[in-house]
Amino acid sequence: MKTAVVLTAILALLGLAPSEAIAQHGMPGGTPMTFFVTSEPIGDGGNLGGLAGADAHCQKLAQAVGAGNRTWRAYLSTQARPGQPAVNARDRIGNGPWYNFDGVMIARDVAHLHGDTIELARLGNNLHKRSGLTEKGQIVPGLNDYQVPRDGEWEYVKTTPYTNRHEMLTGSQLDGRAYPPGTDYACDNWTSNRDPAPGQAQIGQEGPNRPNAQIGFPDRNGGGNGSWNSSHGTTGCSQTALVRTHGVGMFYCFAVN
Amino acid sequence: MKTICLWILIGSLAGASTVFAQEQATLPDRIPSSLMTFFVTSEPIGDGGNLGGLAGADAHCQKLAAAVGRGDKTWRAYLSTQARPGQPAVNARDRIGKGPWYSAKERVPDYLKRRLSRPMVQSQIHGDTLAEAQRGSNMQKEFALTEKGELVNGIGDPMPTRHDILTGSQPDGRAFTDAADHTCNNWTSNGAGSAQVGHSDRIGNGNQSWNSSHATTGCSQRDLVSWGGVGLFYCFAID
Repeated sequence: MKTAVVLTAILALLGLAPSEAIAQHGMPGGTPMTFFVTSEPIGDGGNLGGLAGADAHCQKLAQAVGAGNRTWRAYLSTQARPGQPAVNARDRIGNGPWYNFDGVMIARDVAHLHGDTIELARLGNNLHKRSGLTEKGQIVPGLNDYQVPRDGEWEYVKTTPYTNRHEMLTGSQLDGRAYPPGTDYACDNWTSNRDPAPGQAQIGQEGPNRPNAQIGFPDRNGGGNGSWNSSHGTTGCSQTALVRTHGVGMFYCFAVN
Repeated sequence: MKTICLWILIGSLAGASTVFAQEQATLPDRIPSSLMTFFVTSEPIGDGGNLGGLAGADAHCQKLAAAVGRGDKTWRAYLSTQARPGQPAVNARDRIGKGPWYSAKERVPDYLKRRLSRPMVQSQIHGDTLAEAQRGSNMQKEFALTEKGELVNGIGDPMPTRHDILTGSQPDGRAFTDAADHTCNNWTSNGAGSAQVGHSDRIGNGNQSWNSSHATTGCSQRDLVSWGGVGLFYCFAID
């Protein structure tokens, strides 16, 4: 970052416009950041304090890097409850286009982001390992980064920032919408840090009472499909359970303005 | 690649049990995997978009596979050709059998002893339904290995980038139907023309397409290099 600042200053002195490669958010000529992956989790598993708590986390992290002037939303869905309609992640994030820390466009609009038509979906959006950056411009460690036997243990992972942590909480289906009520896909609408009862612990044994979150991968590598927003579930909603399958409870943040 | 190897090495030295270390030690013997039914050519033919037609490209797949002991299978290049008078179009997707396909690495180093290299499925790699297209497939950088089990240089790796993979195909794996050239004159031109390419690392041109990301201008070896490729293509075993 500092290098880029210095380089930009030098180029400015030479009368050259900053090139796209080093133009970053907040700099003259840089495209403002309107998308990031949280650099750190809230840390209480799937209990994010509901959508409000997750949005506040996005806002806080954005604020810390000088992007707090925008309104940030967590890309999360919640399931319908009696008297409480479902919330679809895709409906929360504004209209785009969204740009990452480097000023690289992630997607033009909601349809491009989700691949609403088969033609769009086959080509895909522009979220990948080198564009799915945190608010600090960091690449999120993925499947083939620093594989060690303890990279599924929270006590180890929280002090070892370069182990695989590529599972982003979304609670969403492939199209960015909430799952129907019944089976939990959103850690009880992002208020639960519970683990499944004994005998319920396996992924794939979904049931109404099994705490579970649907996740996706910013590095597009995992689950045999690489979906960015809906690849598979978790072994539970505790922090320990999230880490077991290589997530730490991070999520995507989008600016709505 | 080297960096990743180094990290894995450090990991195995630092925190691993004896069993884990032994598994690391025996891993190279399984590359290329005896299950390999898919690879990216480690080397191009080298004459730009002139591959000697589909037959020449298939022979290149067969030769490279034989060199790593997998010549017992029948290999096909993933390439389309466009219709000509008296000569129907050929769709890449119709040439490669049914799958499922496995890459050259039988199992990436993994203490959980899972087979991470999940196979690719025809309908998934081409996104035949909307859900399949949205979900994607396991076709990604660490799966799209050469027949030697090596990664193909992509965006962010040391230059030169080799991630432009010749296909001549639309995203659904079929030949183009318009009059423009998308196949370097059905893989016989090393000069004028254009080739549709995909990206083996799924990065570039604002999309993730492995088989139809953009077109090249020109078909010479130099033209291909200027776009970020060297004339590599995908090979699939049909049996």
